[in-house]
Amino acid sequence: MTMTESPPVSETALPAASPRVVGLFDALTTTDHKRIGRLWLRSGLLMLLAGTVLGVVLSIENSNSSPDDLFGGVNSFFQYFSLYRFGLVLLVVAPLFVGIATVIVPMQVGATNIAFPRAAHSAVWLFMIGAGTTVVSVVAGGGWGALDGVSSGERDAIALTLVGTALVIASILLASVCIATTVVSLRTSGMNLLRVPLFAWSMLVATSVWLLTLPVALSNLALIYFDLRGGPGTFGTRFDTAEDAGAVYTQLGWLFEQPQIYAFAIPVLGILGQFVPVIARRRHAQHVIAVALIGLFGLLSVGGWSQPFFQGGSHDEKFIFIAFGLFAALPVLGSIGGAVATIAKRSGAKPSGAKPSDERGPSDFSGFVSVHGLGAIGAGLLLLAATVAGLARVIEPFDLGGRTTVTAVMNLVLYSAVVAAIAGVWFWAPKISGNKLPDSTGRLVIVDLVAGALLLSVADFVNGFLEVPAFQYQVPFDPAQSVLVAEPSNQGLVDLMNVISALGAVLIALGVLGVFAALAKAARAGEPVADNPFGGQSLEWATSSPPPSGNFSEPPGRVASEAPLLDAHRDNREEA
Amino acid sequence: MVATTGLPAPEITRPRSLLVGTMFACAAAFMFFLGVVGIYVVQRAEARDSAGEWFPEGVVELGPSGFIFWTLILSIFTIQWAVQAINADDRNNAYVALAITGLFGAAIFNQLWFIINDTGFALAADDAQFMFFVVNGTFIVFLIAAVVFVAFTFIRALAGQFGPRRAEAVSAAALFWNTVVFMWAIVYYLIYITK
Repeated sequence: MTMTESPPVSETALPAASPRVVGLFDALTTTDHKRIGRLWLRSGLLMLLAGTVLGVVLSIENSNSSPDDLFGGVNSFFQYFSLYRFGLVLLVVAPLFVGIATVIVPMQVGATNIAFPRAAHSAVWLFMIGAGTTVVSVVAGGGWGALDGVSSGERDAIALTLVGTALVIASILLASVCIATTVVSLRTSGMNLLRVPLFAWSMLVATSVWLLTLPVALSNLALIYFDLRGGPGTFGTRFDTAEDAGAVYTQLGWLFEQPQIYAFAIPVLGILGQFVPVIARRRHAQHVIAVALIGLFGLLSVGGWSQPFFQGGSHDEKFIFIAFGLFAALPVLGSIGGAVATIAKRSGAKPSGAKPSDERGPSDFSGFVSVHGLGAIGAGLLLLAATVAGLARVIEPFDLGGRTTVTAVMNLVLYSAVVAAIAGVWFWAPKISGNKLPDSTGRLVIVDLVAGALLLSVADFVNGFLEVPAFQYQVPFDPAQSVLVAEPSNQGLVDLMNVISALGAVLIALGVLGVFAALAKAARAGEPVADNPFGGQSLEWATSSPPPSGNFSEPPGRVASEAPLLDAHRDNREEA
Repeated sequence: MVATTGLPAPEITRPRSLLVGTMFACAAAFMFFLGVVGIYVVQRAEARDSAGEWFPEGVVELGPSGFIFWTLILSIFTIQWAVQAINADDRNNAYVALAITGLFGAAIFNQLWFIINDTGFALAADDAQFMFFVVNGTFIVFLIAAVVFVAFTFIRALAGQFGPRRAEAVSAAALFWNTVVFMWAIVYYLIYITK
């Protein structure tokens, strides 16, 4: 028999260094997961900056009664409004988490590289092409449908937007396959699924949910595209009737409404569960329960079924929609409870039977005011607020469907994800770039982002109760009707809320600028950083900062728990 | 050595990444397909509720699509034959099985192309004809992907890259192929049997 097997990857010789992507050729040819992840992160952060600036402009515009001031017309305002929503979900949150996961997850599971590194590399370039196409097409007059008719050129631009969005979704799916496969099949010995670090587990759940739901959006995009390019206008692509106004957007809107929107925040629970034991300097008090809760949250965020075609239009009164909305808060609450239990176990009296070796290092509270500590807590609370707002959304007497409450839920979920991702970038910076990001700026950024997200969302939440529609210039097919669909019950309060919302958007934009300032400062300083500066408990902290090519200078040993570095610390202490 | 416990590092077993990755890809592909088919079903139900007719009577025939179905059933056996042969290190049988499977794929493509032309449908005519094209077109895309996967596996098998200890690529190709067969079973039932 001809054996062509190569030896297992973890037994190959490991070069000593993992240089950054330094040139275009390097960026085009690399198969190192850390370089690929950095490309994802750069793309996501750039999109975050652009998205938050757009958010400020939209908020200011939203405060006016006419959409003509800044955007030149209701159709243009609608396209940028849609771009903000699609962009925040698909061009910001998803790539940020994919980027962090691409760098960190292989190290967390003790692998030398991500599964299918060439596919992972293709995914990031596919994303960049798709994202660029999407943004350019919207600027050229395209978007996700139209409100008041289109010219021939705008029709082509809309087709281009659909192609760009499809490329972005395809890239996220491709990256998801790589990340999920890494967790499932490249784990080091002894690491069963219950011992996988919570962030890696949450990425497995998130990518699985994305793989089951985003293809539904992709298929809908394909249908709309072919309908636009020669079909009978089934999917509202004629743009010449009142029924077609906003029809395309409506068909895809389930992506950023509950329950599907929660799917983009699944890693928030993983980051919360990963960071809290580090700041408490203990094992997670309820690791197995946390694993189950993340899985449950993933289950409750499967939203492909809520595509309007499957629901005959509105799904507000469907049992499954109400049930998902009611129960989504439970796993978030449970995860926060697990975090509190971990912290309480640390600061309070040790329960009987607790091993003294479970505690590591001095007991101080510095971890709580660290960037990752603040970020984890802030992101967890924002997500809890999102699920509570989502709970109010499904309670029938409130009748909040189609109002700004939907926007509030979306913003809370997505900014909880952004806060968690930024905290993740700060926490794992030694492994991502080999630098430590400045703590003082980081704290300001996190507090600023959380405050901004709260202001933005509270205003939208209150406006929902004041009967303000999610899109204030809804269905104005007749240009003469390009005004508010229904006069809110208290216009003065609505105006105040819009100002608060704009203030929140400005705070968020400032926070994002702070992120870029910190990254620039760290790149200039270039100070060496310790291998495990925060007392991390999972395998990525067992290697150098930055990690070598192949991640570990020697293969990790057998893992016996979800916190292998705590085990090693305990063993060393017992030996001493 | 990165010390995590006092236990020695065990022998590392070869991961089955390709098979796991293909499973995830198959799940995504199937959900894409269900997304299209789900909208087809909804559109058809709405059309029947309002107008009472979906396809014109006698245009979409059962016979030719049945040939596709039974050919695909046969192809399940040939692709599994390839998997079995590789696992038994019987390369000649594996080559034959993979080649026959690929030929079945080409034959199905040819038959489906005939069916689509035979109906005389036009993309822009109405909702029913549009959805007919989209569902069959989606299947054709996945069929082409499966044939390419099998052809690529065949070439790698010829290059001697597979054996009893390294058969996951053939198993992965078989998994994707069987997923595509299942897709046709759904298309066959929804479009050609229940029309």
